[in-house]
Amino acid sequence: MYDPPVSSSIDLSIPSELGYERVVREAVASFAHRLGFATERVEDLKTAVSEACLNAIEHGNAQTPGLRVDVTCVWDGSGLTVCVQDQGLRPYSGHVTPGIEQRLRGDAPPRGLGLYLITQLVDACGFKLSSNGGNVLYMCMRRCPRA
Amino acid sequence: MLDNDLEVHIREREGVAIIDLIGDVTTFAEEKITNAYNEVSRKGARNILLNFRQNDYINSAGIAILIGIVTEVNRSNQRLAMSGLSQHFQKIFRMVGLAQYVDIYQDEDEAIRGFTAAMA
Repeated sequence: MYDPPVSSSIDLSIPSELGYERVVREAVASFAHRLGFATERVEDLKTAVSEACLNAIEHGNAQTPGLRVDVTCVWDGSGLTVCVQDQGLRPYSGHVTPGIEQRLRGDAPPRGLGLYLITQLVDACGFKLSSNGGNVLYMCMRRCPRA
Repeated sequence: MLDNDLEVHIREREGVAIIDLIGDVTTFAEEKITNAYNEVSRKGARNILLNFRQNDYINSAGIAILIGIVTEVNRSNQRLAMSGLSQHFQKIFRMVGLAQYVDIYQDEDEAIRGFTAAMA
């Protein structure tokens, strides 16, 4: 198996336009494959990264033309940390709405499942503020599947 | 805009209205999927199968569209099933709870057998 050097990383920057999350998704998947992640983990990562980018485009940057979403992926020798940063037009509450029962009852909007999916698919995740006031959603995934 | 077209086709097989979804299921798919559902409902469909094919990308916006369809199906006393999902998206659908409300089959043939058994 390819043994990547510790501190391998990639940086990406995309416009705040729906559809560009797929570009990030494919790039991160390719990087994770290269790092030796199992296919199932790569699929989980693809969905988590897509949802994080969607949040940044739609919520954090409010689909504002000219604003960017920056993505960094850092391999530390045992796991991958992906940070998705927007410009912080709207802050995140961090509130996660699970499942669909409330949505089927009409008690919650049908959208908003992205954060819930992210929490389920990666080993660790959370929000922090960047120095320029943007939201940073970080996601960590170890190369070995969880037990 | 990087919106891949979703192809939606409607057909009927053994009393089941089949909606083939070929391509990405994202926010851009809402009108096509909703129109297809409305069309088969207008024609009196009681059993509806969403048949996914080559769906490399289904995101939370796409799942929200499907939740809307489930809501309508429940209101209209129809029966809804899904087939053709990859293992990953079957897992995602279980994760968000969709699998509690929709029968999920590996493929179209298995889904038709499921509808037939339920109608017997």
